[in-house]
Amino acid sequence: MTSFIQSYLGTGFGWFVAHLVYILLIALPLMLAVAMIIYADRKIWAAMALRRGPNVVGPLGLLQSFADGLKVFLQETIIPSAANKGLFLLAPIITFTVALMAWAVIPFDAGLVLADINVGLLYILAISSLGVYGVIISGWASNSKYPFFSAMRASAQMISYEVSIGFVLISVILWSGSFNLSTIVMTQKGYYGDWLGGLGLNGHAFNPLLFPMAIVFFISALAETARAPFDLTEAESELVAGYQTEYSSMSFALFWLGEYANVILMCALNAILFWGGYLPPIDWAPLYYVPGIIWLFAKILFFFFVFSWVKATVPRYRYDQLMRLGWKIFLPLSLFFVFLVSGFLMLTRYGAAG
Amino acid sequence: MIQVFAFYLFATIVVASAAMVIFARNPVHSVLWLILAFFNAAGLMVLLSAEFVAMLLVIVYVGAVAVLFLFVVMMLDIDFAQLRAGFVSYFPLGGAIAMVLLVELILGIGAWQAGSLNLAQRTAPLPEATPNIEAIGQLLYTRYIFLFEAAGLILLVAMIGAIVLTHRARGGTRPQNIDKQNRRRPEEAVRNVNQPVGQGVDLGGVEL
Amino acid sequence: MVDLSQYLPILLFLAVALGLSSAFVFLPMLVGRLTGSHKPDPEKLSEYECGFPAFEDPRSQFDVRFYLVAILFIIFDLEAAFLFPWSVSLGEIGWAGWTTMMIFIFELVLGLIYAWKKGALDWE
Repeated sequence: MTSFIQSYLGTGFGWFVAHLVYILLIALPLMLAVAMIIYADRKIWAAMALRRGPNVVGPLGLLQSFADGLKVFLQETIIPSAANKGLFLLAPIITFTVALMAWAVIPFDAGLVLADINVGLLYILAISSLGVYGVIISGWASNSKYPFFSAMRASAQMISYEVSIGFVLISVILWSGSFNLSTIVMTQKGYYGDWLGGLGLNGHAFNPLLFPMAIVFFISALAETARAPFDLTEAESELVAGYQTEYSSMSFALFWLGEYANVILMCALNAILFWGGYLPPIDWAPLYYVPGIIWLFAKILFFFFVFSWVKATVPRYRYDQLMRLGWKIFLPLSLFFVFLVSGFLMLTRYGAAG
Repeated sequence: MIQVFAFYLFATIVVASAAMVIFARNPVHSVLWLILAFFNAAGLMVLLSAEFVAMLLVIVYVGAVAVLFLFVVMMLDIDFAQLRAGFVSYFPLGGAIAMVLLVELILGIGAWQAGSLNLAQRTAPLPEATPNIEAIGQLLYTRYIFLFEAAGLILLVAMIGAIVLTHRARGGTRPQNIDKQNRRRPEEAVRNVNQPVGQGVDLGGVEL
Repeated sequence: MVDLSQYLPILLFLAVALGLSSAFVFLPMLVGRLTGSHKPDPEKLSEYECGFPAFEDPRSQFDVRFYLVAILFIIFDLEAAFLFPWSVSLGEIGWAGWTTMMIFIFELVLGLIYAWKKGALDWE
């Protein structure tokens, strides 16, 4: 498409327009997906609680999120008099920008990626480590007690789980030998292909050395996005509504949008790193006729369902339990698996080099 | 053309935000300006093709070090009047450090201009096709192995030092012992009693 | 060499994302003024505190354990930073490189054990 537009608008400007279109093709459907996924989330909890969930606005309540969006858009933006005004408004901007930015390197299909950089996974790690600033700044700038406490809790929680996420990623990188997300997806092709008569399984999670890491990554993803059972940043009985207590109107909605965009991102990362990304689950030729983007979306939706399922069924952790899980279980476990995976690779794949 | 534009964009923001780090009245604002400076410095690194260094700059400095800075300045009660008073008394020391840095900069640029640095020694020792993460890896864990282990020791010392300095044992807490809880079985905890009417329950020495 | 043209879309994406989110923050403020929903009063603008005026400055001193978590995070983040180049160059550096890293990890594990025994990881 780039060359098509460039043939009309010249090389430089055509490139610019084409990439602007690509970016909007990622950002706008993402926002639409967030709206629909909030609806799906509410429907899933409702079904698990034997309720009906949103069912008034539009057919089956499908337009509920848009109605909510319009409502908050028309509401008054309240800036507390004690707040640091600039930072107070900056925090939701940071949260949402960061949530969008990470999508720049996600491969949606073979070759279908906006920025195919060598260090894609590091880029994602860098961007997600920025997410903590939206939280800290909002909590501090509100100049109110509950948001501040919540921000402290949330930031300590996020950085604790980032540690184990980092080590889990190293196991995947060791196996794939690359930071490029497309390469990581392609190296997952055809596990056990020799034994199963060519019908291999696509996904690092089918590797017994990496499957435990897939579980650790999934749970860390829950904690990193502050989803239940780790949502004690917004424990209503203790902290009112968490760090966005003082926010109103669209600034409040941006925190929600950012949070759900991060949830979808984590689902996408689960799919890409461990479950074969845009590859079909089984390495069987007819399945490749289905476009890769459909497989990726199916996997993302599946993981989102699991996120919702967990939220509907698991009670909230206490802070000491959360920290114990992060530092005393996941960190040693993921370090041990770095040792295990690299040792195994040295013995089997790289042994001859030494 | 775009690279030149991007370079001047990043460089201007780095310098401007570094200046704001010093001039901002509120220390929290200073840290946030510092973060902006780090971020744009990472942009400059990307322009130099040092993508790994750029990502590390964001992950380590923006994602970790600056978070600690923010924690510290947000939660310490800082008396601004006292800080202003301290400015005068510390000015000679600060001025001296600034002078040393300035002299170092001038010497560095002077040595560069004089041409005593051999350009051939600065070329990359590895083939161009290797991504720079792998290039770093191939050197760091072979030729610079002792420096690398020394870095590990420094990290260990830093960790122990931080714990020694900040950790205070807390008395009077009753931490949850999760292993013990998980090992507990119904047989140890529950007792069925056929209770006669009008008599108290014998708890059998169980503390309540 | 790094293909810089792959990074340009990211810069563009940053601009678009910043623009979108700023629009989301500032447009409702404008709309609020136009529709008349913007009616601030001192009570509405005071910070949230369960219906009474706040007693104290909310930015109080915090438990030192939060600093400790941040410091430990920096250290393990740096360790991960050392692991990244190692994990992609394992094939070239061979057993010597692998052993080096295992010693490095062992040093850090010593630190972790120390923190554990000292109770620095406990949040009772």
